[in-house]
Amino acid sequence: MPELGRAALVLCLGLALFALIGGAYAAATRRRRLARAAQNALLAAFGTAAVASGVLLAALLRNDFSFVYVADHTSLELPTPYTISAFLGGQEGSLLLWLLVLTGFSAAAVALARRTGPDILAWVVPVLGLVTTFFAFMLVAVSSPFATQIAPPDGAGLNPSLQNPYMMIHPPFLYLGYVGLTIPFAFAMGALLARRTDELWIVATRRWTLFAWTALGIGQLLGAHWAYVEVGWGGYYAWDPVENAALMPWLAATAFLHSVMIQEKRGMLKVWNMLLVILAFCLALFGTFLTRSGVISSIHSFTQSPLGGWFLGFICLVTVGSLALVMSRLPLLRSKTRMESLVSREATFLYNNLLLVALCLTILWGVVFPILTQAVRGEQITVSGPYYNFFLRIFGIPLLLLMGIGPLVAWRRASLRSLGRSFAWPAGIALAAGLVLLLLGAGSSWIGLVAYTFAFFVLGSIGYEFARGTRARHALSGGSWPAAFAELVARNRRRYGGYVVHAAIVLLAIGIVGSNAYDKVKEQKLSPGQTMAIGNYRLTYRELVKRNGPNATEYRALLDVRRGGSSLGTISSGKNNYRAEQQVSNEVGIRSDHLTGEDLFVIADQINPDNSVNFKVLVKPLVNLIWLSGFVFFIGSLVALWPSAAEQRRLASRYRDLRALARA
Amino acid sequence: MARSGSPVRLVVALSVAAVLAIFLLYVSVAGGTPSIQPSQLKCCGDVALVGKVTGTPVGDGHAAQGLRFRLQDVAGGSASVPVVYRGSVPDLFKVGREVRLEGRLQGGVFVAKRDSLRTKCPSKYTPEKRT
Repeated sequence: MPELGRAALVLCLGLALFALIGGAYAAATRRRRLARAAQNALLAAFGTAAVASGVLLAALLRNDFSFVYVADHTSLELPTPYTISAFLGGQEGSLLLWLLVLTGFSAAAVALARRTGPDILAWVVPVLGLVTTFFAFMLVAVSSPFATQIAPPDGAGLNPSLQNPYMMIHPPFLYLGYVGLTIPFAFAMGALLARRTDELWIVATRRWTLFAWTALGIGQLLGAHWAYVEVGWGGYYAWDPVENAALMPWLAATAFLHSVMIQEKRGMLKVWNMLLVILAFCLALFGTFLTRSGVISSIHSFTQSPLGGWFLGFICLVTVGSLALVMSRLPLLRSKTRMESLVSREATFLYNNLLLVALCLTILWGVVFPILTQAVRGEQITVSGPYYNFFLRIFGIPLLLLMGIGPLVAWRRASLRSLGRSFAWPAGIALAAGLVLLLLGAGSSWIGLVAYTFAFFVLGSIGYEFARGTRARHALSGGSWPAAFAELVARNRRRYGGYVVHAAIVLLAIGIVGSNAYDKVKEQKLSPGQTMAIGNYRLTYRELVKRNGPNATEYRALLDVRRGGSSLGTISSGKNNYRAEQQVSNEVGIRSDHLTGEDLFVIADQINPDNSVNFKVLVKPLVNLIWLSGFVFFIGSLVALWPSAAEQRRLASRYRDLRALARA
Repeated sequence: MARSGSPVRLVVALSVAAVLAIFLLYVSVAGGTPSIQPSQLKCCGDVALVGKVTGTPVGDGHAAQGLRFRLQDVAGGSASVPVVYRGSVPDLFKVGREVRLEGRLQGGVFVAKRDSLRTKCPSKYTPEKRT
């Protein structure tokens, strides 16, 4: 079995090398048959990666401890779902997943692009081959999941923090996002190499970018929810480097998704778009490097393995190579048009881009600051929450405002009269909401009040856009109002899907502000029968119970919860003592109020021998809007991603025009 | 970005970028905390102390006298420093585990800030063990 896995990986490396070298030669010398063979090599590489993954998965399911990886990350007691998720619970397995997703996406992109962009595809294949070669080489020569040993009687088990349903889906989503960013990067580089600097590469990869961006966004929210329910400190994001590693490429991709619209509509920002797609891809690689290099201090444990050096070298190669390529094609990337006014849709997109990139680079600066200070001053200086929160406010609040302004401003140039007409309703709603919130006591946090006022402005702007569009569609085609609304969305899914995503970001902002600016925290030691109060809640500690779970001994403190005189039932909070792993993990108690979005969050911080417990209790207003935003975000992305016949016709006509333009 | 016919825009943009860069540098230097290991701990000022728990921890993070233990460098060595800590103690805290605390040296003892103790999660990418 391990031999089959190793052979599959070696074959994958060979195929990727062929796609790289053969594909580049074919593209440079315009040999069609060789180019086709290079494309087929990428398709076959997916097959070999799937075989290698199948071997590892089978070894995990069979508890084959002769595989070092299986012995290190599973045990006989580990439930089957977590045995499967142990596939990505370690370095070698997660790298194999990278390769599997990468080759799968590459194969799909090649198969789809044969119809849409064959001329660019010749150069896309060697770029994808290069990335695949790197990951296959890592798995063959540096970090193999198929190392073997004399099988021990049992394995070391999986880290208890990873024994959570969220951990089965959070990492795969992140990988889909990280790896998905390879496709727009490869098409961008392919376009530069083929000297096709029109919008074809953007049109061909729009869905790939959107898909990767959606997966990365959902993956981060799943990770935040995992941290919230499993890690048990009452928060969901700690600005740790490993969290920032996923946020940075997402921010760069967000900027890219907006700025490509300017290139599509006005033929501007070609260099900027190239730089953004390079930044997003390099940041995806940088995130993978961070978690494997050990250069950054983090609450997550990273190895000092040789992988870090390889990754750093590859990032340098990609960065220098792609920037040199952009520089060499600068004359071809000149914009044909200029920005006509600073008050226009494209100008607001540009401000949005600058703020997103500034936020992204500020976070990057915070992440690498310890390395820089170590190099310059000989001691590491770390920045933490206050630094990041400061810049999140500086850049995030204007971004929120721009999200409301953008849809209301016309392309090219907006007149004062049209601005007044468009802004009246959203601004009125925002001001009214701000006043009501002030009267309700939201002024205790001025940043919260400003953020909420802007959030209502954005919601007003989105509502206004939907209402205006539906009214126009109803006037044009008659029929019922719901039919007009459905037709409006169906005819421009990208635009209205985008507005739904904006609504999701507003919900996220409201949830973050509410749960941070208006939360309550109380710590108290209770013996059975004693009561504590926090906000409107009263909690009575009833008893401590002990039970044996499948792979852990579970201790639970049971508390009766009352609010305003009425009983809300029982909440349990405690710890699990994992036997094989010999580790303890917090199991928090959470009671969600679905009407207000508020959570009562109970941590049994310390269980004492006399059955008394040191509790830490938090009341987190509106925190559930964060998780709700994930669903709305997903729906909005799905609307934007969903193919439509009308769009396919527009795309086909666009391809024809662009090819004709290239031939002329 | 947008093509400009005038160098004035470029100068303004570069000036804004320079001011922002200086501001960023100032905020990160002024708001940053030196991250050091026990052998580097000399005196004075708030620092983040990173090290490995050694000796037998005594006391209770929730009691007035706090939790007392010693920290040595991550790579080992003879230098170690006594630590007193009050606040939540992470589940993963135990002898041999790498931890990070914020605080300052007072009278030869590192007095950690409340709730600043963080243990490294023993996940995910563990060091190579095989031959």
